[in-house]
Amino acid sequence: MKPAPFEYVRPSSVAEAVATLEAHGGMARVLAGGQSLVPMLGMRLMRPSAVVDINGLDAELGQIEARGAETTIGALVRYSEAEASPVIAERLPLLRTAIRYIGDRQVRNRGTLCGAVAQSDPTGEVALVALTLGATVVAQGPGGVRELAADGFFVGSYANALAPEEMITGLRFGVVPARGAFFERGRKHNDFALLSLAVAATPEPDGSWRDVRVGMGGINDTPVLARAAAARLEGQRWDEAALAEAAQLALEDADPPEDVRASAEYRAHLLPIHLRRLLLSLVEEPRHG
Amino acid sequence: MSSVEVAEQQAPSLIGSSVPRKEDDRLLQGDGRFTDDVEPARSLHMAVGRCPFPHARIESIEAAEAAAMPGVHQVLTGVEVEARTEPISVLRPVPGAADLPFYALASEVCVFEGQPVVSVVAESRQLAEDAVEAIWIDYEPLAHVSDPIAALAPEAPVLHPERMDSNLLASNPQGRGEPEKRLAEAVVVVEDSFRIGRVSPLPMEPRAVVAEWRPGARELIAHVSTQVPHLVRMQLAESLRLGESEVRVVTGDVGGGFGLKLGLYPEDLLACLHAIELRRPVKWTEDRVEHFRASTHAREAVHDFRIAADAEGRFLAMTDTYVTDLGGQNSPFGSAQLSSIVFTGPYRVEDATVERRVAVTNKTPIGAYRGYGQPEVNFARELLVDRLARRLGRDPLELRLQNMLSEEELPWKNAVGALYDSGDYGRCLRMVAERIDYGGLRAAGRGPRPDGRYVGVGFTSFVERTGYASARFLANRGSRFGAHESVTLRANRSGGIDLYTGVSTFGQSNETAFAQICAEVHGIDYAAVRVHAGDTGATPLNTGAFASRTLIAGSGAVREAAAALRAKTLRIAAARLELEPDALEIAGDVVRCREQPQRAIGLAEIHVAAITGQGIPGDEEPGLEVTAHFEPSAAAFAYGSAAAVVAVDAETGEFEIERFVMAHDSGRIVNPRAVEGQVRGALAQGFGAALSEELRYEEDSGQLLNGTMLDYFVPTASDLPPIELLHTEVPSPVTPFGVRGVGETGTIPPGASIANAVCDALAEFGVEISSLPITPERVWRALREASNGGEGLEG
Ligand SMILES: Cc1cc2nc3c(=O)[nH]c(=O)nc-3n(C[C@H](O)[C@H](O)[C@H](O)COP(=O)(O)OP(=O)(O)OC[C@H]3O[C@@H](n4cnc5c(N)ncnc54)[C@H](O)[C@@H]3O)c2cc1C
Repeated sequence: MKPAPFEYVRPSSVAEAVATLEAHGGMARVLAGGQSLVPMLGMRLMRPSAVVDINGLDAELGQIEARGAETTIGALVRYSEAEASPVIAERLPLLRTAIRYIGDRQVRNRGTLCGAVAQSDPTGEVALVALTLGATVVAQGPGGVRELAADGFFVGSYANALAPEEMITGLRFGVVPARGAFFERGRKHNDFALLSLAVAATPEPDGSWRDVRVGMGGINDTPVLARAAAARLEGQRWDEAALAEAAQLALEDADPPEDVRASAEYRAHLLPIHLRRLLLSLVEEPRHG
Repeated sequence: MSSVEVAEQQAPSLIGSSVPRKEDDRLLQGDGRFTDDVEPARSLHMAVGRCPFPHARIESIEAAEAAAMPGVHQVLTGVEVEARTEPISVLRPVPGAADLPFYALASEVCVFEGQPVVSVVAESRQLAEDAVEAIWIDYEPLAHVSDPIAALAPEAPVLHPERMDSNLLASNPQGRGEPEKRLAEAVVVVEDSFRIGRVSPLPMEPRAVVAEWRPGARELIAHVSTQVPHLVRMQLAESLRLGESEVRVVTGDVGGGFGLKLGLYPEDLLACLHAIELRRPVKWTEDRVEHFRASTHAREAVHDFRIAADAEGRFLAMTDTYVTDLGGQNSPFGSAQLSSIVFTGPYRVEDATVERRVAVTNKTPIGAYRGYGQPEVNFARELLVDRLARRLGRDPLELRLQNMLSEEELPWKNAVGALYDSGDYGRCLRMVAERIDYGGLRAAGRGPRPDGRYVGVGFTSFVERTGYASARFLANRGSRFGAHESVTLRANRSGGIDLYTGVSTFGQSNETAFAQICAEVHGIDYAAVRVHAGDTGATPLNTGAFASRTLIAGSGAVREAAAALRAKTLRIAAARLELEPDALEIAGDVVRCREQPQRAIGLAEIHVAAITGQGIPGDEEPGLEVTAHFEPSAAAFAYGSAAAVVAVDAETGEFEIERFVMAHDSGRIVNPRAVEGQVRGALAQGFGAALSEELRYEEDSGQLLNGTMLDYFVPTASDLPPIELLHTEVPSPVTPFGVRGVGETGTIPPGASIANAVCDALAEFGVEISSLPITPERVWRALREASNGGEGLEG
């Protein structure tokens, strides 16, 4: 479990990092918290020609910025920092809840949210919340800055729309619904999810709900939106029938995998049950997971 | 929380006291010295290339390019290893098994994924791994078989055709009476086939070796992370064609063994061979990916169990025919051998037979693991006891108590001739029932509760063989080790005692327990006893730490040595104080007159006198050092019962263990806190195997699906249920101090108690569980099958 040879580069600016990525023709990899990259290097599942260590770029990438309605999380913000941030607690409580399901304390002290988005694990909590809340991935490459909607960013298992010479500089969230809730099941404490769910919506005074978002993880080769389920609930009062139907409709967007965590059949069985229960929890109390 | 009930009232004694562990100061301060901490000057590093297929013929190996890479010192293949070494010996062969010799590297056919095929030594581990990648090995994949039952089918490919004509390595029937007749007469017979999953013992420290060869001195020093340094020394000498005096095995701190580190592995031998040929120290530390494929696995078995009973619920007969997996080839301890010994459990059954069948498959070799067959068979039997209770409309607690051997019936010889020495089996069961408030739980009903979940209670009772009897018994089975332990005590000039033992330190608190017993018997301060463990160059030739035997045999050796040392110390002191030895006692750091404590002499002074020979009686030999060997007269049977309370979500199959209570008897307890630690640690492994751990193989490719920590679900502390421990302390009549072994006990009860609790909770659906681990998905499937009227009660 020792990496194949690679060149180690520690740039002093984002521009230099991007230039290095370009110079290696897409064969270099960014090193952020290293919680996924280092094991992959060790197992030689990844053999980059260079590792571009961005850990010296705290000034450019280490901030959580609240500007107007927008909240931007820099590429060097660690899970633990986001977890402890009052800005995140106030503006993105669903994200804060979801982070607690990631790895263990040591992993969260090193791992970054943007690294998780780049990793694009189909069960990743940050990717799921980013998708559910309609976040924007901010990337910089040789051609300049690009903004990519989370919806569409995840194109496959561990695959995304980022170009190999590009790096993520931040993850930006806009205004989010008033309520949110998160659910996750793994095979053990803080395991990768065999099923994860993020729901968000805003209750109206008349008892109906708007801006309904339902995201699902572990149920497809990327995190996915349960569009049909959300549509069924949008603008409606959530009575038992509506919740049950929506939960069933979520299966339309699911194509569950079969692996050591669970069979496809069991995932499909769990999905509507836990989705219905999670939605119900949103109705019962204003909570954030 | 423990309630220790002391069997006999004694004066305050070190034995029975939770003194701080000897091992902890260094471990907690980061001053432990593990094998990987050893790095002699000029060390080189080894990497091993492994077969990626479960079964394959090696067509060719092209290693010239790798050997020529800068920084690479040597490449070895199977052909060279076969020429230069002897096969690795098996320490505990399965009785009646064909001999299946194997070398450290495969040269023709590989029989499991991960089997070593080439080894490379280079300036760094990185370079060595680069070189392994540059070796081109052409394999011809062969038909494989992964499942042990499938392996015994006539159409299965025979994996060792040169030595065997099927994959059945051995079959060992045992038992007494006429169970078939009883089964035919019985009013009720319950039977089923129970599958126990394959798991990894998973010590936190993987295996490791550092080999140094001094050609001029003809001395090989092998630092090995092992439970049995003296056995490894023997195996290394045999395989390397050296005299034992040319081999010294040094074992420092070991980060867990659990049975996995019992004996020589191919990599140990390879590192030594490279070190000898290169005349440079060679180091290899196993990484976790290798560990999952090349370190022994455990447990996998299928038990076809039957229990017959009369209308009153009296057990008339039990039979168990089981298949255990060996994997592709032998390991030093092979597949688990204790299921047969304890298959009837704590119950009164006259007519009972058992047959072990060992199957060869294309998987990683099986080795010993905490429990060594006892958790597996306990699961099968105890699930059937509950099914029997349901069939008869009896309470499972009552049915167990009715059939359990009473205190007065012991000693009792069970159907395979094992002698249960002593104990009150029913008491432990009643204790757990009382602690969980069984009456109250039953009165509250199974639910569903307001939270929608169903509540169930599950019991299990077990006996556990700890230690083993004489070397005579072993001789009939071809075991390459004895039944004794040996200890040397040497007085030192600071007034302390150095205790030397070949039992290496891997978390079992042996240093603490040995020092406690030494201090207790001798009279010296506990703090003044220093334990030196695991260096074959310094310690007496012993057996080793396995089978929960260390204290059973070791405490006898410590007792005898300490008594002899004390006697000589008192004689020397008596001469100096002009008193009779009988009038003296050792109290901490002095020898003094019992009646007139002011007449005293420092222990250090006596030690110096003995060591220099100056000022000792004329008829006394100089020196103050004793080696004692002790072989116990019999195995001691530990025992216990457990109860689990679970709440099950019948929609999803997800469940929570709300309470887990265990009462056990490990005889006289030397250190209660250490015992509690052992039981809790073993329980954690028991819960892992019961709930989540399982090595899975892909059917078509035969490849391991979850050989990383990412996909192998070993529980963390937060995954464990709340554990309540109760002890009784009935001394064993067959061991020194009445101790029984305790290291493995906790692995036994989780599987059966949880499965019984889940089945109890879901009794109204007719759910039955027959395999481990009990995952939520399996519970859901069992629910679905039950509601389809599929698999219900057997019969
Ligand atoms: C024990 C353990 C448990 C874990 N449990 C979970 C879990 O439950 N859920 C979960 O989601 N994850 C889990 N992880 C993975 C962890 O969260 C990942 O490390 C994290 O998602 C990636 O962040 P990082 O900063 O460590 O990225 P790195 O490991 O440094 O990088 C990961 C990948 O992203 C790329 N990358 C990183 N940053 C950027 C960037 N700014 N621009 C472009 N590419 C970039 C890297 O090149 C690499 O390919 C676990 C990891 C461990 C070790």
